[in-house]
Amino acid sequence: MITAERKPFAEIKAACAPYRRILVVGCGTCVAECAAGGEREVALLASQLRLDAGKARRTIDVKEVTLDRQCVYEFIDQIFPLVDQYDVILSLGCGAGVQAMAEVLPKIHIVPALNTTSIAETMEQGVWREDCRGCGDCKLDRFADICPITRCAKGLFNGPCGGSKGGHCEVDPDVPCAWHLIITRMEETGRLDAMNEVEPPADWARTQGKGPRKIVREDQKTP
Amino acid sequence: MSDPDQSDSTVAIFFCRQLDPEQDANRRSLEKELGPKVRFFPLPCSGRIEALHFLKALETGARKVYLVACPEGACRYGQGNVRARKRLDFAKALVREVGMSDDCFELVTAPGAGLASMDEIARGLLGLKPHRA
Repeated sequence: MITAERKPFAEIKAACAPYRRILVVGCGTCVAECAAGGEREVALLASQLRLDAGKARRTIDVKEVTLDRQCVYEFIDQIFPLVDQYDVILSLGCGAGVQAMAEVLPKIHIVPALNTTSIAETMEQGVWREDCRGCGDCKLDRFADICPITRCAKGLFNGPCGGSKGGHCEVDPDVPCAWHLIITRMEETGRLDAMNEVEPPADWARTQGKGPRKIVREDQKTP
Repeated sequence: MSDPDQSDSTVAIFFCRQLDPEQDANRRSLEKELGPKVRFFPLPCSGRIEALHFLKALETGARKVYLVACPEGACRYGQGNVRARKRLDFAKALVREVGMSDDCFELVTAPGAGLASMDEIARGLLGLKPHRA
């Protein structure tokens, strides 16, 4: 999933300061799972805005809505009837959600309330770890399903750097050495021979350098 | 303890229902006595509290919000009261962000399940004299 963290309240407040009618829009998918932008977080932020306004004896109108997915137009449709009644949308979606709403709602200012951080997995309740950089050329099978681009501080493709201690990274001792994990898992799955193969450099052109990446699936497109 | 002289202040008390088997009757008598100045919110376990409960209590007029939990190690469900403290800390951080004092939220540790009535606990928190049967 895509993970995000809420921006500091002061930053959100400053961005919304010119407006009185605020539509707070959450997303019920990834950012709800990481407790940043789901229905509960929408309610908390709306409550903070009201308390803050009340403290300053200012009247604001805050409406809370949480879409199933903020990055899909059909779901954004649900807020169409509300948009004219508000001065600003405060989005608790990821960067894709904010931009998808901007695409279909050209006449209203949309303020992001989250900082989108990574593609991650839920390690335990309240802990999410980045697993994927979305490089566009997945080689996880070559690395025993552990991504060295994301999980090795040096992004090494052909074995460990030699600096790890006790299975932990020399850059951040709190982080397990990705290559320690890769080799252990290769051993456990009987694929240690794969270590003899040399992995060529990544094709970084698939990651960046040509503007936003786009997927076009003719079989999925409407005529 | 809240100031009983602040006659217009409203106090919200969230509490673990396990603390007092007779909580329903006990709290109702105090609710009758004090009217809207005190509001009780029984929870199946203090760990079911959410930061939003605290904020909503403030939004709806409470000036002080208590959460009454079992002592650490005495939660019927294991970690409920530990979780409750974390939720309270989170709620405090949220009100601090807004520039409000976080002492409007307070965690109160009760003597233990079945050892005190909610009436006694609440009277203590509100600075009232004990109820005479």
